[in-house]
Amino acid sequence: MDPQPEPVSYICGDCGMENTLKPGDVIQCRECGYRILYKKRTRRSKFCYL
Amino acid sequence: MSSDEDESMSEQEEQTKSGKEDNGSVLDYIMSLESVPSKLPPHLELLKTRVLCKIDAPQHTDTIQYSGAYAALGVDNSIRLDNFRQNFKVQVNRLTEDDIEFDMIGIDPALANAFRRILIAEVPTMAIERIYMANNTSVIQDEVLSHRLGLIPIGADPRLFEYPENAGNEKNEKNTIVFKLHVRCERQQPRITVKSNELKWLPNGSELPSEDIKPNSSSKPKTFTSFSCSQDSLPEFSGNPIAPRNLDIILAKLGPGQEIELEAHAVKGIGRTHAKWSPVATAWYRMLPEVVLLKEVEDELAEELKNKCPVGVFDIEDIGKGRKRATVARPRSCTLCRECIRGGKEWEDRVALRRVKDHFIFTVESTGALPPEVLFTEAVKILEEKCERVITELS
Amino acid sequence: MFSVGKQLPYPVVGDAGIDKQFLAAPIKSAVDKFQLLPEFLKVRGLVKQHLDSFNYFVKTEIKKIVRANDRIVASKHPNIYLRFKDVRIGEPSIMVDGSPEKITPQTCRLSDLTSLINKQGYSLDCAVKLYSVATWKYAAPILVNVEYIQGSPGQMTRVEKNDVVIGRMPIMLRSCCCVLYGKDEAELAKLGECPLDPGGYFVIKGTEKVLLIQEQLSKNRIIIDTDKKGNITASVTSSTEAIKSKTVVVMENEKIWLLLNQFPKKVPIMVVMKAMGMESDQEVVQMVGRDPRYSSLLLPSIEECAKSGVYTKEQALEYLESKVKKSMFITDSSEKEGRAYSVLRDVFLANVPVHQNNFRPKCIYVAVMMRRMMDAILNKDTMDDKDLFKTMISEAKMWIDKFLEKNNKTSRFDFSHVIPKPLLAVQWSACDNIEYISRDTITNGLERTLSSGNFDIKRFKMHRKGMTQVLTRLSFIGTMGHMTRVSPQFEKSRKVSGPRALQPSQWGMLCPCDTPEGEGCGLVKNLALMTHVTTDEEEGPLISLCYYLGVEDLELLSGEELHTPFSFLVIFNGLILGKHRRPQRFATSMRKLRRAGKIGEFVSIYVNEKQRCIYLASDGGRVCRPLVIADKGISRVKEHHMKELTDGVRTFDDFLRDGLIEYLDVNEENNALIALYEGDATAETTHIEIEPFTILGCAMGKQAMGNIAYNQLCRKDTLLYLLVYPQRPLLTTRTIELVGYDKLGAGQNATVAVMSYSGYDIEDAIVMNKSSLDRGFGRCIVMKKKAVTIQKYDNNTSDRILRPDRTADNAGHMQILDEDGLAAPGEIIRPNDIYINKQSPINTRTQIIGSAANLPDSAYRPSREKFSGPEGESCVVDRVILCSDKNNMMCINFLFRHTRRPELGDKFSSRHGQKGVCGTIVQQEDFPFSERGICPDLIMNPHGFPSRMTVGKMIELLGGKAGVSCGRFHYGSAFGERSGHADKVETISETLVKHGFSYSGKDFIYSGPLGVLY
Repeated sequence: MDPQPEPVSYICGDCGMENTLKPGDVIQCRECGYRILYKKRTRRSKFCYL
Repeated sequence: MSSDEDESMSEQEEQTKSGKEDNGSVLDYIMSLESVPSKLPPHLELLKTRVLCKIDAPQHTDTIQYSGAYAALGVDNSIRLDNFRQNFKVQVNRLTEDDIEFDMIGIDPALANAFRRILIAEVPTMAIERIYMANNTSVIQDEVLSHRLGLIPIGADPRLFEYPENAGNEKNEKNTIVFKLHVRCERQQPRITVKSNELKWLPNGSELPSEDIKPNSSSKPKTFTSFSCSQDSLPEFSGNPIAPRNLDIILAKLGPGQEIELEAHAVKGIGRTHAKWSPVATAWYRMLPEVVLLKEVEDELAEELKNKCPVGVFDIEDIGKGRKRATVARPRSCTLCRECIRGGKEWEDRVALRRVKDHFIFTVESTGALPPEVLFTEAVKILEEKCERVITELS
Repeated sequence: MFSVGKQLPYPVVGDAGIDKQFLAAPIKSAVDKFQLLPEFLKVRGLVKQHLDSFNYFVKTEIKKIVRANDRIVASKHPNIYLRFKDVRIGEPSIMVDGSPEKITPQTCRLSDLTSLINKQGYSLDCAVKLYSVATWKYAAPILVNVEYIQGSPGQMTRVEKNDVVIGRMPIMLRSCCCVLYGKDEAELAKLGECPLDPGGYFVIKGTEKVLLIQEQLSKNRIIIDTDKKGNITASVTSSTEAIKSKTVVVMENEKIWLLLNQFPKKVPIMVVMKAMGMESDQEVVQMVGRDPRYSSLLLPSIEECAKSGVYTKEQALEYLESKVKKSMFITDSSEKEGRAYSVLRDVFLANVPVHQNNFRPKCIYVAVMMRRMMDAILNKDTMDDKDLFKTMISEAKMWIDKFLEKNNKTSRFDFSHVIPKPLLAVQWSACDNIEYISRDTITNGLERTLSSGNFDIKRFKMHRKGMTQVLTRLSFIGTMGHMTRVSPQFEKSRKVSGPRALQPSQWGMLCPCDTPEGEGCGLVKNLALMTHVTTDEEEGPLISLCYYLGVEDLELLSGEELHTPFSFLVIFNGLILGKHRRPQRFATSMRKLRRAGKIGEFVSIYVNEKQRCIYLASDGGRVCRPLVIADKGISRVKEHHMKELTDGVRTFDDFLRDGLIEYLDVNEENNALIALYEGDATAETTHIEIEPFTILGCAMGKQAMGNIAYNQLCRKDTLLYLLVYPQRPLLTTRTIELVGYDKLGAGQNATVAVMSYSGYDIEDAIVMNKSSLDRGFGRCIVMKKKAVTIQKYDNNTSDRILRPDRTADNAGHMQILDEDGLAAPGEIIRPNDIYINKQSPINTRTQIIGSAANLPDSAYRPSREKFSGPEGESCVVDRVILCSDKNNMMCINFLFRHTRRPELGDKFSSRHGQKGVCGTIVQQEDFPFSERGICPDLIMNPHGFPSRMTVGKMIELLGGKAGVSCGRFHYGSAFGERSGHADKVETISETLVKHGFSYSGKDFIYSGPLGVLY
């Protein structure tokens, strides 16, 4: 079996709270119950074209 | 109108008159030159040295460079270096920190244009070329922010740096300037505007790790640059830290909770590759305006002519007995709006607008990396190099 | 219609103390009435036709419809019934876990889970369950109060229940049911909504849908036309709450016949008249008119009737019974009365009501139809031009009401057919009948209709496709244009020129410029800026008002008296009320009442001298527009009124109420003489245009790139184009400001040189300056959306997302994935990169043994999603949006962003349709420069001008140059020079000269490569 992936955090579309989700979790903000979550921006620094 | 004028000019008796009407001394000067074997007839001289600006289009705009162009008249038209040496003059009219205006007299438009072209496209500067975006949660997109950063003029003398290609694209202290920008708008705070003063110079090079950091590795993580020494320690920069030339350029706006963290790497380049490397906002010239009254313009007409011109080229002088006459007071300020020759054929017959073909009023507006006068000498050097290259390749 | 509490009419002449002579004198300068426009738009908005119609439907019409069909009776047990007492629309919400949860439009836009539902392969049970939760549309429950019979046959009890949900109604944004209604800018921003967005559309399955305004022939009006064989016909399309029918009376072989769908063959009209009780031929002749020419035209028909042996009412009905189509109306009542009788009563000219079997109004109506036909035969002038707007009504009234009518009907049929069955099955147990109300019929029907745009109403024989469209979000102005579009009733492919031509009566109602090229040319139209589309108005009070004002009732008139000289027939909404002996006086007093606000402002009074009729109209779907009333050519709107308006003490409605402004519809405009400007008014002038440019619409340049809305970066469009640096135009118009185009602009101001250059500019190609492009000119952002669903299957298996295997062969393509197997926002994505590491179970059909979660890896096959884009183009992952329902069906939306600079072959256009592709990109040093160092951004070929004659563009070039040199926005409103809303070319030229430019805008420039003056 696959080892359980580390939880990645997601940002609530309404209140901006960070939520961690595990596979199988309901997509809902724990704070305000909003049902749309956004993935957080990557921290991997990358080269940008001009 | 032009045929009329030509006809009258060609007549011998008019010759003295035409000499009078050029109140510019250049023509007289050229006429009096010893090295000119024989003089061109005045009407040809006029067409050779002046652009006639008619109401709808300029006439005789081209320069006659062929040495034998006037061979039939027994006039030598070849260009001679000593002539050029004698006649060429530069007069600086205005010099500020950011721009310069000077007259370049006695030079062919092709050469004057070459300087203009080199200034725009070939004099190098430093500009931000690579952005390493660690975080950007603002509304402005990464690419757009990068583009804006790239256009910021960097106050660093490009002559102290090398082109990155020379170092095999290795980024060292000789070819790269590293800036850091890290701004964060805290929650519950008002919005903030990120300006170019937030760009902080990193004399020791990049601080961002280029690979994923391994927690167990004790050695210094590899970064995007490999500086052998701090740029701070170099004598050129020890006293004056590198910063963007203008500190009030708006880069982005941040709302509460938003953050920008990035590293910007500036390298040397030329304006032909991208306009951000162009050292000038713009560089251009105009030919010296010459405004000639072909007829006496007196009284009401003089008043009318004076009022016609929006930039005040004409003035009125008293010629006694309560009569007035129009004079050309400030021909230099003529913008070629052609208002003075607009009111029908009679006005076109009264006023002639001309441009002197070998007198250039040159303006250079620097973006600030180098002072404008230095920019021009740099341009001359580049042209020199080019000529040398041609000579070496020919020989 | 007499309104209570309205302000008394403002004394037009003013207070007694003021010098009357001064006030009565013609005003010297024209009053600037421009300020009325922003006020008008503030009250009305640009998409008021949609909102009004929806509001009317929700508030009034839905109640009417339910009232019309309120009782449902079990067919086998007549005493078991269900009765709707009241109906209303609740708040927009979604059912989650059986409880309603409030929703906002933006939430609905962002989550579209219905894509799951349409997938096949669910068990019925599963599908139903899913349906109830997953429909993310912006909808509100339809709540009804019901009364019904419950219990077994022996002991039946009447139960009342309030707020029963019978379905869900999609809600139009910004309508009175919408959460956005009445919200201010800050509140809207909080809800994630753009304050400039006009609303007027629906959000279904995450997409925005507009119901297009439909144009159709006016209903309940007599239209004289010729059919294919050249016969003169008079047709009436009747439409009532209960039925819709078309009645055609045709003159064929010198005889008059009736064509009706219920009769397979045409029937003689005289038989119909006899069947309706007109047994005396003489009376028919009198009704038509005693002119011998009419009688001679009528004679063959009378003979035909006599030939068939029909003399009495009974004989006529018997005759018709044999002609009537079988299988129609098999209700008990019609069996009793005879089918022909019920057809005549209910279908034939359905708009003329039959009270207590009184067919006389219908007979008169037929007589009037015949008379009009005969007029047309005798005098071809009186023929109605069908193409003329006069008889066309923009049925802007939302078709949804028609549609819902049907749906409620179906739901009624559902009740009557579905409910009793289970009732019988459970043997009248204590079951609650209400449980059997099918909610999905209405909900599904509405949703299907709105998302597919297909309207099929079998009862009305209506089949229309493409009634709804996905709202274009290419640019803000494009959206506006889409909302004001009027779609035609004709087939677009028909090669006809008549309907495509611009009709004079469209003046001010429809934009004369804005129509597409190609097949829809002239058929697809756009509303003008100030057009208002009416909604239905209560008829009863108006009718009684007419009688008070001296209309002689039809009932009291003999056929002979109908057409006495000097008297006009009064026709109200297509219904003949009677006649009036002093028509002009009647019209004037009605108009006075309207101007005083005593009757609705949209009631139209039109005196038709030729037909000797007065047409009154209060029905919905007529287009009308406001005009300033003038007395003997003197405008009623004075300077002080406008001052009051700007001071905020007076509103647009006050202008209406005080009788300074009134709405005229297309018909009534025929009775008015309208001056374009105040200065043009003569003594005969009755009205003055408010602002002449309002005859135009607001929506050209739909493809222009720029801004979409303030919330453009929070939206989730499948394809979105944004300009990085959009700008306000230097030469703007009043319309631009009114519409809000200056706040959400599209396009950039460019320094343009009109000259030939390099030969790469032939055929309208343009040459661009590379340095300008380097500096951000024309840079744009393209956003694309990709949706991935994590599906659940019948056998309890489901898709899964895996952590990327960093050691696998294709790890290079998985670099942008996070630990959760999804691409991270901010990562650069290249073609063939994987953005979701998804796996699907191989077996999705049969039941699996053991827990679905413990399925071995071998039971899955990879179904990764690869990014496909042009090679060499790098995109960035902009956002990753996750949403799911309670069944944990996850939907992941990826938005990819690509910032691109203009390149060879990209199309650019000015605002005058002068489009061209980019032919070459040239270095700045090769570009020409002017005396003052100005270097253009692009070069346009001057050969585009002579043949196109875009004078407006020349003016824009001048105005823009003047604007940039003097630092003031210049105006170029259409027809604006006289009222000061456009800068005159002369003044622009003066500005140019003042700043040292040529008056003509022409500059001398230096050649870039050569350095000499051109």
